[in-house]
Amino acid sequence: MSDAVAVGPAYRSSRRRLAFLFAALVIAVLPLLLTSGYWRTNLTLCAINVLLAIGLDFILGYAGQLNLGQSAFYGLGAYVSTLLITKFGVHFWAAFAAGVAFAGLAGMILSLFAVRLRGHYLAIASLGFAVIVHQILLNWISLTQGPLGIYGIPPPPAIAIPGLPPIEFSNQVALFYLVSAFALLAYLLLDQLVRSPIGEALTAVREDEISAQSLGINANAWKVFAFGVGAAVGGAAGCFYATFVGTLVPDAFFITESFTILAMVIVGGMGTLIGPVFGAILLTLLPELLRDIGDLRLVVYGLALTLVVLFMPGGLVQGWELLRRKFAGARVAGGR
Amino acid sequence: MTATIVAQQIINGVVLGSLYVLVALGLTLIYGVLVQINFAHADFVTLGAFAAYFFMHLLGGSYLASIAVALLVGALLGVAINLAIFAPLRHKGSELLPLIATIGVSTMMQNAMLAVFGPVPYAFETPYSQRVFRVAGTFFTEQSVIIVLVSIATIALLYAFMKFTFLGKALRAVAQDRETAGLMGINPNYLIMLTIVLSSALAGMAGAMLAPVLVLTPFAGTSVIVKAFAIVIIGGFGNVEGTILAGLLVGLIESFTTQYLDPGLIDIVVFGLLLLMLVFRPTGLISERREENV
Amino acid sequence: MSEILLSAKSLHKSFGGVRAVRDVSYDIPQNSVFAIIGPNGAGKSTMLNLISGVYQPDTGSLTFAGADMAGMPSYRRVRLGIARTFQKIRLFKQLSVLDNVVAGFHIHHDIPAWQYLIHAGAFRRDHARCREEAMELLSFMGLARRHDTLAGSLSYGEQRMLEYARALATRPKLLLIDEPAAGLNAAEVDTLLDRIQTTRKRDVTVVIVEHNMELVMTVADRILVMDYGQRLFEGIPSDVQKDPAVVAAYLGGELT
Repeated sequence: MSDAVAVGPAYRSSRRRLAFLFAALVIAVLPLLLTSGYWRTNLTLCAINVLLAIGLDFILGYAGQLNLGQSAFYGLGAYVSTLLITKFGVHFWAAFAAGVAFAGLAGMILSLFAVRLRGHYLAIASLGFAVIVHQILLNWISLTQGPLGIYGIPPPPAIAIPGLPPIEFSNQVALFYLVSAFALLAYLLLDQLVRSPIGEALTAVREDEISAQSLGINANAWKVFAFGVGAAVGGAAGCFYATFVGTLVPDAFFITESFTILAMVIVGGMGTLIGPVFGAILLTLLPELLRDIGDLRLVVYGLALTLVVLFMPGGLVQGWELLRRKFAGARVAGGR
Repeated sequence: MTATIVAQQIINGVVLGSLYVLVALGLTLIYGVLVQINFAHADFVTLGAFAAYFFMHLLGGSYLASIAVALLVGALLGVAINLAIFAPLRHKGSELLPLIATIGVSTMMQNAMLAVFGPVPYAFETPYSQRVFRVAGTFFTEQSVIIVLVSIATIALLYAFMKFTFLGKALRAVAQDRETAGLMGINPNYLIMLTIVLSSALAGMAGAMLAPVLVLTPFAGTSVIVKAFAIVIIGGFGNVEGTILAGLLVGLIESFTTQYLDPGLIDIVVFGLLLLMLVFRPTGLISERREENV
Repeated sequence: MSEILLSAKSLHKSFGGVRAVRDVSYDIPQNSVFAIIGPNGAGKSTMLNLISGVYQPDTGSLTFAGADMAGMPSYRRVRLGIARTFQKIRLFKQLSVLDNVVAGFHIHHDIPAWQYLIHAGAFRRDHARCREEAMELLSFMGLARRHDTLAGSLSYGEQRMLEYARALATRPKLLLIDEPAAGLNAAEVDTLLDRIQTTRKRDVTVVIVEHNMELVMTVADRILVMDYGQRLFEGIPSDVQKDPAVVAAYLGGELT
């Protein structure tokens, strides 16, 4: 993927720590400022979409594998955890772990295609995978109740802390804190990964596989790894989605959902982690801000995706860089 | 009795297959020449179908004329997508950016159509849908006959064009070796435009043909295109004969799955086949092997 | 004669109907510069791809430092100490010059697994060490000032030098270089020649495929001449020009 924005080697951990503290602060304050149920719903959706986007970006932006199957991992995480909870009475967090593991495993299975296929072929294979998963969810009625869907999915069980009132996740704010804390944690860990030699190996595979192998990088193994991690993160988003919405229907995981997630990654800036975060937030909130457009939400996504590819393939991150350079340049010019 | 059922499924399968071939041929043409996938191909099919529908039902045109209108609409969309997407992105040399951009165009078109035409299926009645032939216990409509005949004629024309005209030969030359094709003295930009317009015109026409048989909604093209993707891979990207074979195969799979298994399993069977194909024979039914040059 | 580092025994490789390499055997002594020459299409690059593991031979064997390399993929050969450059330059164009070289340290990181997720002391030391060594390699190839540039925006000659530095980052015992002088100007060829000789002094055996005869004659200890996939001659440079088969293949002209 030659148009991804390259990440510099700069290693400034103190500034990163400040940025993370700031992000945590924003997460803490937001639901206190936005008190309507409507906005709190949107905030939680933002956090879920952030997870989906950084998961896909790990596969697409870093390892360079065009995965159109993220909707399948999302759906598998949601259905596996929900079925374990509602049918087998498994504890939420055990079901959550199983959902994440199952999605990760599915990602590794799909990656076996990526090992043999490149570019367009992989795009269509992963799309085919997403179609199959959607169709199974739709047609395995005895298990998933098909198009009728599963209703009344409970929120995560309350966490009791001695000496304090228990944290009830039926409370919208508590659930938002839970999902966004997990998203922040996932971001932190992925950020460390991509800034390590693992990230170097993944980008090498993205840039030129044969060249990477000539440096001792086992390209296939890293593709399996990237798919496993990216899919697992998508699966986690699915688990949270199910418990947050309380209802599951297969059409929530139709292939167009993959395109939506793709739009978030591209609009934000693939090949950076921070870009997809803002891409996910922007594309979740933008249609809500332009309330009049209503049904045209996905038209906005499509338009944004097309325009960004045509005019700013590095996405918001590239735009930010351009702005910063412009202002830095202006300051230098002004100083003379 | 069983023989009649089998014969009936073969007929249904061939009719469906012909439609799929029309859609898939456009994809494979573009891939052959540009090595690019046009995701919006699906929506060209849909818009072609709506154009034909409105030409017939609002303006009172004949069905055959409405096919021509759909073809024209498809061709115009082809011009538009080449000017807006493929031409500007060609120089960036990226394999994935044009693909992603056409996913954007597709998302945009599909949801714009949803907003304008609504989600309720349109009844695309043609004078030919009602006339039924009965032969030895099987039956099929005149519409099906038209579909198969037009598909055969289109494929034959395309074949003749590729084989016997100078432009067709130039197209094949570009498909086989993009560097030396410039030596034939034809502006490659012109050839690429021609390919995309041809492919998109096929998509529009396919829309007018399939809407009376399948359901006409803003998603009509999408449900067909995922199968068309499977077909071009099963047939071998850029391979016209393979695409025709695979299109008929998928049509037959669909009709037999509907009869003997469950219509809900169609996509699972087709894509299962696709994934198996990708593992064991990634170059398609009729294969030509290439090794990467290091 | 010193020890044999790489030994090839009757290698064969065909593509479709084309027999690119036919029954070629040779031994490469440790700490030597071994050149493979021959007309276009003689099978030189295929030979390099066989050694580096991009291709596997149809029949025949390759032994490197006593290890049989049958079926071994290219990325594992790097761990044994085989590095390479490419005839058609293959850099990570969207990465910086420095990051290209750092990627070459892939098999030499010394970080406990948990520190990939939580960077701590060992990680930081490894991070600093890799960048420091990468800068040394860049200085060695004269690219230190360009470390922050995108590899894709380097000049052609600089790109060749960068590929050479990146290959050295794997700390090879055997370095395969495929037409390194192609497209370089005279000054750059001189620099390259000097770097190859320095590399060899650092206990690295070099296999070079090259068209520039002057360079080959200056730098090579032994020369393998290939034609139509076959071995035409193998020996020391001064004997090459006297070999009637070689002279015939080159029509007498090029080798003077």
